[in-house]
This record gives sequence, structure tokens and C-alpha cells, in this order.
Amino acid sequence: MRTPFRVGVGATIAATALVLAGCSGGPGDSGPVELTYWGWAPNIEKVVDVWNAEHPDIQVTFVKTDAGDPAVTKLLTAIKAGNGAPDIMQAEYQKIPTLVASDAVLDLADTIDSGLEGKFSDGVWSAVTLGSDAVYAIPQDSGPMMFYYREDIFDQLGLQVPTTWDEYAEVARALHAADPSKYLGTFSSADAGQFAGLTQQAGASWWSIDGNSWGVDIDSAAAQKVAGFWGGLVEEGVIDNQPQYTPEWNAALADGSQVGWVSAVWAPGVLSGNAPETAGKWRMAPLPQWDSSAPATGNWGGSATAVTSQSTHKAEAVEFMTWLNTDPEAVGQLVSVSGLYPADVVDSAEALSKPFDFFSNQPDFYETAAEIAGTVSPFTYGPNVNVAYSAFNDEFGKAAEAKSKQAFIDALAAMQKITLDDLVTTGFATK
Amino acid sequence: MAIAIDRGPVSGRRDRASVVSTAILLLGALYCLLPLAWVLVASTKDGGELFTTNTFVPSGSLWDNIVELGSYRGGLFWRWMLNTALYAGVGAALSTVVSGLAGFALARYEFRGKGAVFTVLLAGVLVPGVILAIPQYFLLAQIGLTNTYWSVLLPQIISPYGIYLARIYTAASVPVDVIEAARTDGAGDFRIFWRIAVPMMSPGLVTIFLFQFVGIWNNFMLPYIMLGSDTLYPITVGLSGLLNQGSTVPALYSLVITGALLSIVPLVVLFLVLQRFWRVDLSAGAVKA
Amino acid sequence: MTALAPTPASRRRVRRGRAVPWLMLGPAIVLFAVFMAAPIAYTLVLSFQRSVVTGLGLGSGSRSTVFAGLDNYVAALGDPDFLASAGRVGLYGLVLVPTMLGLALLFALLLDSRRTRLRAFSRITIFLPYAVPAVISSLLWGFLYLPAVSPFYDVADALGIRLPEVLSGDIVILAVANIALWGGVGFNMIIMYTSLRSIPSDIYEAATLDGASETQIALRIKIPIILPSLIMTAIFSMIATLQVFAEPTTLKPLSNSISSVFTPLMKVYRDAFTRNDVYSASATSIVIAVVTFLLSFVFLRVVQRRAFGGEG
Repeated sequence: MRTPFRVGVGATIAATALVLAGCSGGPGDSGPVELTYWGWAPNIEKVVDVWNAEHPDIQVTFVKTDAGDPAVTKLLTAIKAGNGAPDIMQAEYQKIPTLVASDAVLDLADTIDSGLEGKFSDGVWSAVTLGSDAVYAIPQDSGPMMFYYREDIFDQLGLQVPTTWDEYAEVARALHAADPSKYLGTFSSADAGQFAGLTQQAGASWWSIDGNSWGVDIDSAAAQKVAGFWGGLVEEGVIDNQPQYTPEWNAALADGSQVGWVSAVWAPGVLSGNAPETAGKWRMAPLPQWDSSAPATGNWGGSATAVTSQSTHKAEAVEFMTWLNTDPEAVGQLVSVSGLYPADVVDSAEALSKPFDFFSNQPDFYETAAEIAGTVSPFTYGPNVNVAYSAFNDEFGKAAEAKSKQAFIDALAAMQKITLDDLVTTGFATK
Repeated sequence: MAIAIDRGPVSGRRDRASVVSTAILLLGALYCLLPLAWVLVASTKDGGELFTTNTFVPSGSLWDNIVELGSYRGGLFWRWMLNTALYAGVGAALSTVVSGLAGFALARYEFRGKGAVFTVLLAGVLVPGVILAIPQYFLLAQIGLTNTYWSVLLPQIISPYGIYLARIYTAASVPVDVIEAARTDGAGDFRIFWRIAVPMMSPGLVTIFLFQFVGIWNNFMLPYIMLGSDTLYPITVGLSGLLNQGSTVPALYSLVITGALLSIVPLVVLFLVLQRFWRVDLSAGAVKA
Repeated sequence: MTALAPTPASRRRVRRGRAVPWLMLGPAIVLFAVFMAAPIAYTLVLSFQRSVVTGLGLGSGSRSTVFAGLDNYVAALGDPDFLASAGRVGLYGLVLVPTMLGLALLFALLLDSRRTRLRAFSRITIFLPYAVPAVISSLLWGFLYLPAVSPFYDVADALGIRLPEVLSGDIVILAVANIALWGGVGFNMIIMYTSLRSIPSDIYEAATLDGASETQIALRIKIPIILPSLIMTAIFSMIATLQVFAEPTTLKPLSNSISSVFTPLMKVYRDAFTRNDVYSASATSIVIAVVTFLLSFVFLRVVQRRAFGGEG
């Protein structure tokens, strides 16, 4: 036992040294500019490969990180530690103020093309400028919200697609009454972004900037209307209260107990992955409206690409990012390979002319989507979005569990208090 | 004579099978096997079947799932397995050496400050790994070692529990006379350690190695915080990341489940093969007082 | 040379170079200093600071770190979320630790009885969960807890029984405890079992001759002898229980009833990573470490001699 043990230890230490020597990056010398890009959009590495093949002088290494919050946390930790951050970072719109407030991203206004702004809608552009002259990121994709439903089940039960929220409530009741195992949807306490988008449609904006101060208005009248609406339906039992994106919910989509989904333009990817046998049975429609005379919708998801403050190659990074998000070839790849809905409306027109198999019953899917995308209401994100979203999880988790409309309204008030208190404690100037 | 007669019926009575005892243990075994059986069956289903078919009815896609998992992003899963083996194997080996030396010193030498050193080292057991990970990250970031293999290896070499075990094993299995005899023969201390103490402590050293191996293999928090590139991930972090993505790309769920199954296999095999080396009794303090 | 009675081992001095033991301890001490002591010290320093922002906070240089005295500690100890999580974990431990150790002891005693059959199979099987990382076991049990995909609910439906939803409401803590129990009972069982195996069997001879039943032998002889290992497993289980993190975090996306501050360590994680506030997180970590240390210390004091008897 002894000798093999010693030899084993010696051998493993030697082998490790060799492996580690090989794995530490070589010293930067003259040659191609090397950029690292942290992101999680599906299959983006293939689009990056296209760039690398065509641009030997600027080579980009894509590193797939965990989606969403963990990636931002990793980035902020690296920024704080002084090294380890990538050059380019995928930045969800709601995280941009947080990144700017932590000094994590560079202002690109002096490096980007002057014509860039014209390629994006006002709402999306304001999300990357925060209303100032600085440009903190280049928009990549967006997530205008719409309503998906099982056309076949609607036909079978004689239901009409709702165009207003009152109609939605009626359909939910009728559906559940006809078949108690089915729900028109669920209220998910795990998806703050979805709820934010729904209140956005009603005209709410959880944060606002007034001169040099932040305002927090999470429990505005519009938001309370939305919270009360869903709370009422959950209390009646006609809308489920289970979180989305769980095995349980996946099973429900597949077996038809979830008959509708209030979601965004990227939903087909999720639906086809979860419930492949339901292909061709779903239909997409605009979100039910609060005010039919002024159609509006919210935004759920979507990211931009930013340059981190630890990068020493801003110009090259901007060149790559501009190509990635606005070059027609790249944008076409984003659509076909990553399943994104590009924010650049000008250069994506051609890529979006072909619908996909899962929605073979709706060939004008993208036309409808483009119309809906034009109705996104404005929304400002604040520097403590994480705090607000985490409070949403906790408070609405309790409310959904309690299945009480009043609990939903109370949860909103609790979120307001927690978010505002956090801003004040941290020292932000608040209205 | 009387004893011989008495021993007969006594041993006969002792060996009559007890249904109750066996049943209780089998119930326990069933409880422990249940999730493992589930993951085995679930790995045989493909993405579509996973959420639609009856749970304990297996399907035939195990090999397909393994192949798909293996080809995910160019064999990333196998890379994770290799990484885990590296972290656990090398980490545990280094940890065993360090703990063995320290335990030997504490057990067989008298020196000023020995008690204090031992107490301070033991206090380390009480510190939750989770809260150490963040400041360790900052410290390693100062020297630019984050997101490297070292960042996961180095912090896991020090194991206060391993040192505690080593001290006990040394005390129990390396008699002072043998050391004294070697010393009078002129052997140096380190020679004594390698050539005399280590062979005598070897069952204990293997146990320390296995404890640390399992601990590192199963560790999630440290590699999660230290690593940014998923090519360096161990299985725990890799699968957790896949799971998070799986919530938005549901097809990944069956990969996660297959990955979970495959990740359990090596440790199970290791246990079965090395089970006679688990000398855990010595860790409980001296029963043979 | 040893004509007289031999001196006890512990009293024989080593007259070699005084540096030798320190050299042997060297790697351990250096690694401990770098990877345990320094981080703890750093956490301590961080716990006395906080970050302040001026104005909108969007320009560079609008954040700075200031000395905060005991503010973070006061805030942590007075935080209703933290106190609730501490209470929750305390109850959780009070239920889990005796159950897990009780089961482990029962299994160990049964394994030690020659009247039990299929001992090797049961021993190995019950030990297997130790090989599964907490994240993965939580994932597996998560599937087993969700009504739509779990076999338990299928079976219950077939039998006409209505099982409660374990991921809702107050019983979710039992769902978490079950995962910890599943993962830990085998390991503790093996510790106790190997202690039992080391007991020389002639100790039982006398008792058996007196007519004692197996149960009586177990209760009156075996358990008292292996008390040291029972105490050690109790302490390590307590420490692990107070630090529960992976299981509730993995189950959280599946349940409405697990908040982001369900356990104290989850609060630390949330402060550090979601709120980007390492300072509060550090203060809370120190509080947790101190409480853990105190509890273990008190427990050990109470049973001190029995736990550390007979060490070389």
C-alpha cells in the first residue's frame, strides 16, 4: 500500500503541474486581439465562430455562464476583485443600471457609429442609455410580450381568444369550469420579469429618475390593478399558482393542463422543447388589453451586449458587438441558431420572414410579432433590480400560496417598502 | 463442561434469522435506493417522454441520452468528469499528505504550543465552507489565480478534520517504541515518517483520503464562486448550470438527469471497491480504551 | 536501558531538533493561515464596513466604503428575516438530528446482530446516498416531490389516497429535512457500526450467560460503549444542520414556500450575491460562526470526558 501510494501521489502532482502549465493562458504578445465574451444565449458560440473565421485579427472566446443573475454576480465580484472580468458581457436590460452603478461597464458613446441609434426602437435604446448621453450597451434582442394559447382546446370547448383582460378572466372561468384539470395559465412567483412586463403594459414603471434622484413606485395604481387582477383569479381557483419553468409546469404544458401562456416572443423555443407533441396546436395573439383603444404590451427578457470596465480593447469589442447585433448575416444567425428576436428592426427584416415549424399553423407569426413589438410601453429600471425581484419572489410566493387577492396587493406594498428602503440605506438619493 | 453445553443453545439461538430486523433494514435500504432507482429509470427516457410517461416504467433511450450528453458542446460533460477527478484525486492526495504529516507531528511529538495549534486547527471544522468561499475568492483574485485549477485545488488541501483523524490514527497505530527504536538506529524524523509511520497508518490514511475525496467531489460552493469558464467546472457546478438553463431550454432536463446518474457511478464504484479500507471506527475516538 | 518500568509514552520527550514537528506541521499551518485564518480575518474586517452611494450612483466614483462600526451586527441580529431563519433552522435541527442519529443507531445495531440477514446488501445500500452531492440529491427528490412527475402521487392516486403537497406551506421544511436525512443516515450508521464492530465479543459473553436478551445487551452495553462516536456524530450533524444551504436553494424554484432567506446561510448568500452587499453578509456569517462554535463548545463541555477519552 505504501509504495504505490507514494508513487501515485508523485505522479499525480507531476501530471497536475503539466496540465496546469498548459492551461494557464499564454502571455499576451503581438498578434490577434483576444477578447472574452460571457453570455448564455443558446448557441451563440456558433455565431461567434462565424466572426472568428472572418476576422483573424480579432478573436473572440465565448464563455457560457449561468443565465441571468449568477452571471451578473460573477461579473460584479470580478470587478470588485480587480481582475477576472471578461471584455464583453451579455447584459439583460433590467441589469444595466446595476452594472452602471457598480462601475462595471464602459460608456461607448464615443466609439459607436452615429447611425446605430436609428436601428433600434426608442424603448430599447433608452434602456441602454438610461436617458443620458452615454451609451452603456448595444441592444441584442428583445422580448415583447404576447399571449399563446392552445387553439385546438379552445376550438374543442368553444372558447374565443380574449382581447381584453376582462375577457381573459371570463375565458379562464369557463375553461376551468368545463374541465377542472385545466387552467388558462398560472401565476408564477418565480418570474418577476414577467410580472414587471405585465405591469409595464398597464402603464407602470417601477423606478424613475427625477434630476439627481431615484423614485420607486412599485405599488402604483396600475401595478395594483394588475396584482389585484391576478390575485382575484388565483383566489377563485381558475388560474393556477405554481411556479413556471419547473418539471411540474413542463409536464402541464405537455399534457394540456396549461392551456395558455402569457409570455414573450421567444416562447416558441420553450414550447417546442417542453411539449414537442403540441406542435402546430398553439396560436399566438396580442396580450389582452386594459384599454382596447390604446394597445400596449410589456417586455419580458432580452439583453444587450456591453463592454466591461476591465477591458483594454474597447474599440475592438465595439467592432465585434456592432457586427454581432446589427450585421444582417449575424442577425440572421441570431434568429436561426439562437432563436432570438433581434432588437435591430432594420437589419433583421429578412431573417424574420421565415416562420418555424412549431408554428406552422401561423405563417404570419413574425409580422404579428413586429406589430406587437411596436407597442411596448416605456419602463425604467433602477439600480437595485435584484432586490426588488428577490422581494417579488418572497412576497408573491407567500401570496400565491395563500391564494388571496388581498395578499397579492399586500405583497406589492411589501415589495415597494423593501426596494425603497434598500435604496435609502445604500445611500442613493431618493425622491 | 458446563460451558460447552451452554454454548450450544446460545449460539443456536443467536443465529436464528430475525424477520423483523431484516425487514427494518431492508426498508431502510429501499428508502435509500428509491431516488437512485428513479434516476436510473428517468435516464432511459428521452426529453419528450420524461414528463409524459409513468415514472417507473423504463424506456430505451439510455444510450442515446448518454451519447447526447457526451456530445453536448463537444464533450463538455466528460471534461467535467475529468475535472472532478482531478480536483478530488489530486486534492485528496495532497490533503492526505499534509494531514498525515500534521497528525503525526501532533501525536508523537511534544512541543510548546502544541495544544494551541491543535485547538486552532480544530476550530476550523466549525467554520462553514460557504462563508469562506467569498473571501478566499478575493484573496486569490489579488494574485490573479481565480478561474484556474489552482483556485479550486488549493483551498481544499487544508482539512482540519483530516488532521484530527490523522492524529488519532497515528496515536492508535504507530507505537512510540517503534519510533524510538528507529531513532536509536539513527533514522531521521522524516525518514521515520515515510518508512515506518505511513505504512502503519495506511488504513487510516486511506480513510482520510476517501473522506476528502468525497468531500471535494461533492463540493459545490467553492468551485461555483471561483470558476468562470465552464471548461474548468466540476460536475456539481456543471450540472447545476445545465439545470438552470434547462428551465428555459427544457430539452436539457434529460441531459441533467443522465448526467446526475453518470456522476454518481464513479463514487459508488469507488465505495464498493475500497469498502474494506473504511476504518471509520478509529475516528470515533478510542473505543478500545 | 529500560530496566525500570517504562515511562508512559506521552512523557517521553523528543530530544531531536525542536524544529522537526514544526516542519511537519508547516504545510498545514501555512495553508490554514492562507485559506482559513486570512479569509476569516478578512470577513471580520468587511463586517465592520459598509458601502455608500452618492446621488444617482451612476457615475464612476459614486460608491465608497466607510467604516460602519457595529451597524451590520445590530442590523443582522435585529433582522426579523434572520431571526425567523434561525428559529426555523433550530427547529429543523431539533427534529432532524435525533431522527437521523436514532435511525443510524438502529440500523447499526441491527447490522451488528447476527440474526439479521442480508446485512452486507443493506449496509452498502444505506451508505450509498453519501456518494450523492446535495445539489443532485435535492434535484432527484425535487422530482419525487412534484405531483405531476412523482411516482408517489401516481401510486397514491391509484390507491385513492390524497397525498399532501410537500412543497407547499409549512411542511416544506420536512421535505428539506428528508433530503438531509436521506443523505446523512448512512454515513452516521457506518461510523456507529464500525465502533460496534470493534467491541470485543467476550464483553457480551457474560451478559448472555446471565440471560440478557439482545435488546438489553444493545441498550445496556453496546450503546454506552460507543457513546463517544455517538457524541461526535451528534456534533458534526448539528454543525451541518446549522449550515443547511444546498437543499433549500435547489428546491426553491419548485416551491412557493421557500423564501430567499429560508435558512441563515441562504440569507448570507442573498446578501452577498443578490444584494451585492458583502458587508452585511460578512457580519451575518460571523454571527453564524460564533453561534455554531458556542453550541458545539457547550455541548462538548457537557459531555467532555466521554467524547475525548483514551486519545494517544
